[in-house]
Formats: sequence, structure tokens, C-alpha cells
Amino acid sequence: MKMNRREALRSLGALTASVTVAPYLGANEVKGFPQGTVLDEEFVPTPSHTGGLQVLNNDAHRRTLAAVFDRFIPADELGPSATQAGCIEFLDAQLAGPWGEGATMYRDTPLQPHAEELTQLPQFIATPRERYETGLEALNKWVSDNEDAEFADLAPERQDEILTGMEQGDIDLGQGVHTKAFFEMMLLSVREGYFSDPIYGGNRDMAGWKMIGFPGARYDYRLYADRTGEKLDLIPVSLIPQD
Amino acid sequence: MSNRKRTAIALGVGAAVVVAGAFVWAWPTFDISRSDVADDETRLADFTSQDEDAIARGEYVMRLGDCMACHEENFGGGYTVSTPFGGIVASNISPDIDSGIGNMTERDFFNALRHGRGSKGLLYPAMPYTEYTKLTDRDMHDLWAYMSTIEPVDNAIDEIADLGFPYNIRLAMAGWNVLFFDNEGFDEHPDQDEQWNRGRYIVNGPGHCATCHTSRNFLGGPKDGEYLSGGGLDIWFAPDITSNPHTGIGSTSTQELVEYLKTGANSTSFATGPMAEAIEHSTQYFTDDDLEAVASYLKATAPSSNVRHEPMTLNNEGPKSGALAYEVNCSACHGVAGEGMANIVPAFEGNNALLADDPTNLIHVMLMGGRAAHTQARPTGAGMPSFAWKMNDEEIATVLDHVRNSWGNGAAPVSVERVAELRSQLAARDKLATPQDEAHTD
Repeated sequence: MKMNRREALRSLGALTASVTVAPYLGANEVKGFPQGTVLDEEFVPTPSHTGGLQVLNNDAHRRTLAAVFDRFIPADELGPSATQAGCIEFLDAQLAGPWGEGATMYRDTPLQPHAEELTQLPQFIATPRERYETGLEALNKWVSDNEDAEFADLAPERQDEILTGMEQGDIDLGQGVHTKAFFEMMLLSVREGYFSDPIYGGNRDMAGWKMIGFPGARYDYRLYADRTGEKLDLIPVSLIPQD
Repeated sequence: MSNRKRTAIALGVGAAVVVAGAFVWAWPTFDISRSDVADDETRLADFTSQDEDAIARGEYVMRLGDCMACHEENFGGGYTVSTPFGGIVASNISPDIDSGIGNMTERDFFNALRHGRGSKGLLYPAMPYTEYTKLTDRDMHDLWAYMSTIEPVDNAIDEIADLGFPYNIRLAMAGWNVLFFDNEGFDEHPDQDEQWNRGRYIVNGPGHCATCHTSRNFLGGPKDGEYLSGGGLDIWFAPDITSNPHTGIGSTSTQELVEYLKTGANSTSFATGPMAEAIEHSTQYFTDDDLEAVASYLKATAPSSNVRHEPMTLNNEGPKSGALAYEVNCSACHGVAGEGMANIVPAFEGNNALLADDPTNLIHVMLMGGRAAHTQARPTGAGMPSFAWKMNDEEIATVLDHVRNSWGNGAAPVSVERVAELRSQLAARDKLATPQDEAHTD
């Protein structure tokens, strides 16, 4: 059927009319959208486990790790140390969960030759949980081979030298441990633990947020959006404020 | 004649006088003669009205009466009305012979709606025959015509299965009726204008507003002197709708009331819960004239005795303050000064529905979230999220005290115990436990 332009315009007009007028003439009611608004359990955040350590149960490992963390963020006039702020508990919960299992990592063999050159990143088949286990074991072994005391009992200056050596590639822990990457993983973990929402075990009393002036899990900043260059001193807010 | 016999006769006569007196006193409660105007021959199942005008008018009466609220959209019943005495299930009022009202004649129908006499015995006042008794003969005839056009639904219902002894004795309602049922038809007040009379008819008759909005005594009867002053519905609260300017609708314009009943919202308030259902099924279908009549009648009611509260002294500083909780959780939608967003989010400033002494509605939506009425005019049905996972009972009470006592509002403190009670009653989840709770109990 051929339709001339006038007919086409007329039918378009009729269509528009039916769309705009119909709602007032008893068009179908919208139905079937959910009446409940209670948050689905799937979307409720999962605060970290509160029943004690699950992964970092090796005292010698944990003692070394705590000492490393507290060299990264020592207690000073700006705030508490990493362990005081709960970074061990934070990392333990992460290691116990999907991150510790490497749930989002590609870990299937074969590891491609030259993959690290291609991606400019070290690639691991081991999970973060395994890497912490082997890394701390190797660090303790290196210290017992080279020092007269455990890592945690060394002078802070000596601890810093060892950590700097690991970071710069001057110290190789051996035993198949990628020393530089292990150092970087510990540094990343301590940052995450110090600044993540307190419901995940670290950043206790929001110490990390108070230190840098981060206002936390607020919804809306329109009140402050125009106040640039001003010290706002907003009270930081956790996703689940403490009782 | 022995003295003993004489005494017995005297007692017997005395008893007879008392019974007769009680009968005369109670007679109006049981007098159903005004419904003799209805036909008592033809069963609903055997009748289909051909009077299109009467059917259309009858459908409108059904909307005014909000039958669907309880009897469901197909009139097959099944909705449970919870009462302090147990749940009462709405009956099947479709023309089905076995499970519905197909065997009723028009007279039976009149007797049920206007006098509380059902086919299984006396009705419970969960069915608002206490208000429907005001329905005019004409509206009843029209409604009957409409009911004859309904498809029968096969759905057998045991209305009182959930009621325990003694509440499951239907005859006991005779006593209730003597106490609380005013079995009288609608009488126009000639000294008032037509609009006021029409409003009064809808509010007190088919609209049965007082069923929820008047508080009830321990027997479930309306409390004297509290007409439309607000009534508790267990997990909801039907607010004051008298002309009280503080807790009622006295400072709301007729136009705003009409808009609310027509669309489910106005610039300040949104309907949710049972009122959303009433608007969706009933008031959105009212003609503008009828809505205006309802609004002007309500505005002309005597104000309730609810008083205005001086604002509480609030702690507006620090991490535990209601002010911070409000800013962080509420202000993005409800506005930094409680101004809301017109047609999307309720305002708190100048919103009298917030200020009732009974804060049940506010606690309810904090715990369970809420969904606005969705009507033809406002089909969105905007949602308020639940905060049960994020706030404990005390934090909810604190933030509600803040909205009830800021921006010119003033209301009684919200009790933490009431929040706890509703959290349990609504089976709302607890606030999430976090590692911080433990760190601080160490």
C-alpha cells in the first residue's frame, strides 16, 4: 500500500494523540514492579569476619608481617600504626575470602613465557594466600640466615634497610619468591587496610580517614560542592556507623 | 401463695421487664426493615442487570466503597484483615453459588452490607457495615446491578479460621453491635450545603474513613470523641484527618487534599502502606466533585484534641547526632532542609503526617522501606529504601526525632522500644554487625 505524505502525517498525528491521551482514558496500569524495597541480602555489604584470625595463624609469620606493616605506617603524631588500626585483621579477612583465593585471577597453566615482559606486570599462578605464606616463610629464612635476631626484633633502621633492599631488588629472598612483587603486595595490603571502610576490619575508628580528611561513605556532597579551597572538617562516616 | 413463690414471680416479672427494656433499647440495632425495599426473590446467580447506567453507577459505588481493598480485584476474597483478635479473611463476594454470594437475593445483599448480617451469620466489623449502613437505597440498587455483572470466582473461604474462642462466635457480634453499631441510614443536614453533605456521605458511608482513622477501644469499637483523630493499625498508623492544623489537615488546602487523593501525592506528602492501596483501588477513581466534597467536609470537621508539641532540644553536633545521620542518609532525597522534591520525594518541613504522637509509619518505612502509591496520574511508585541493615533501634529513633523536630516541626520523642518492637513484628533484619563492635567490647 502506498501512503502519501499527508496520510503519513495524519497517521503520525493519530499515533501521537493516542499516546498522549490514552493514559487518561484508562490505559493499562503499570503492574509487576516490586512493592518491597527491603535491600536484597545479595546487595548488603559483608563486614569482615569478627571471630578471630582465620589465615594468619602462624605466629612467626604474623609477628614479622606486623613489624613490616608498622614500618610502612608507624605510630606517630599523625595517627596510629598500621597494626593498631587493624591492618592485620583486615588482611586476614581478605586472605580468607575470594581475594585470598585469587578468585578473579587467571591462574591456569601454562604460564606463558615472556608474559611479564608483555604485560609489564609479574604474573602468578599462586594465590595471594599462598604468596603471603611462602613470602613470609622466605623472609624469616633470609633473616635467620643473615641476622642475629628475628625481623621483628631488629632495630627499625635495619628493618628499613631490609625492606628497601627488597623493594629495590638488592635482596632476593630466593625459594621461588618474587621478592619485589612480594614487597609491593605487602605495601598495597597495608594501604588498603589503613584506608578501607572500618566494616572490613582495618581503618579502626576511621583513623586513616581522619588522618587524610576523607569524609567516608556519605551520599551527597551538594552542600559542600561549592566550598572549594576550604578546610571542611567533615566528620567521617562509615558505611555502617558504629553503635 | 407462698412467699417464696411470690418472690419468684416478682423476680420473673422483673427479669421480663429488664429483657423487654433491653430489647426496646437495643431494637434499633437489629431493625432491618429499611432494607425491605430490596427484592427478596431473585438470587444474584440468576440475575444479570441490563441497565448500563445503573451498572456504571454501581461500579462507581464499588470504587467509593473500596470493596477491592479486601475482596481483591476479582471479588473472590482472600485478603486477611489483621485485628488484635486474630486475622479475618475477606469473603468471596463474586456471584459464585457455592463459594461466593450467588445464593443471595438483593435483600440479603442489603442486609449484609447495611446491617452486618451475612449468609454465614453476623459479620465481623472488619467488614465496614458499620459505615456502609449509611449507603442510600439508590447506591445499593446500583451496586447490586454492578455485582450481577461480575464473573463468578470459585474460591471457598473460611473467614474466621484464624479466630480463636470466643472471638469465633459470630453471635457475639450482636453484643458488639448493641454497643457500637449505629444502625441508621444517611440523614442530610439541611442547614449545610450540598457539597458538605456529599462529602459527609462519602467519608462516613462508602469511603469508611473512620474504620482506620478513628482509634479503637479494647473491644474494637470506635472511641468516643476521637472521630478521625488518627488510629493505630498495628504496623501502620492512620493519621489525624480532622481540621486540626498541627497534626491533621487543617493547614492543608482543599486543592492539595484533592491532589493527594487523586494521585497519591501532593507537594508535601506521599501515600504508602494501606492508604496507598486505598488510593490505588478507590480514591483515584473519585470524580473531582466528590474529591472536593470529601476535602471540604474534612476541613470542616471539628479539630481533634491532639496538641502541638514544642520542638525537642536536639543534639546537632558530633558523630552520633541525628543531624549527621540525616545529612548522610536522608538529605540527598529529602533535602538538606527537609524540603523534599515536589512530586518525587516527600517533604518533612510542614508535613503534619510526621508529627503524630504515634510514629509507627515513620519507623515502618525506616525498617522496611516504602513504596508510593502508583496511580494513573503518578505511575512511578517511587521507593524509599530500608535502613534496617544500616541503623540500630536507637539510631532510627534519633534520626526520626531530628526530622520530627527540625524546620519548625515539633513532636514527641520516638521511643527506642517502639522501634525494637516493630523491628521484631515486621521481621526486619538487624543492623549489620561489624568488626568495630567487637573492637570496642574488648
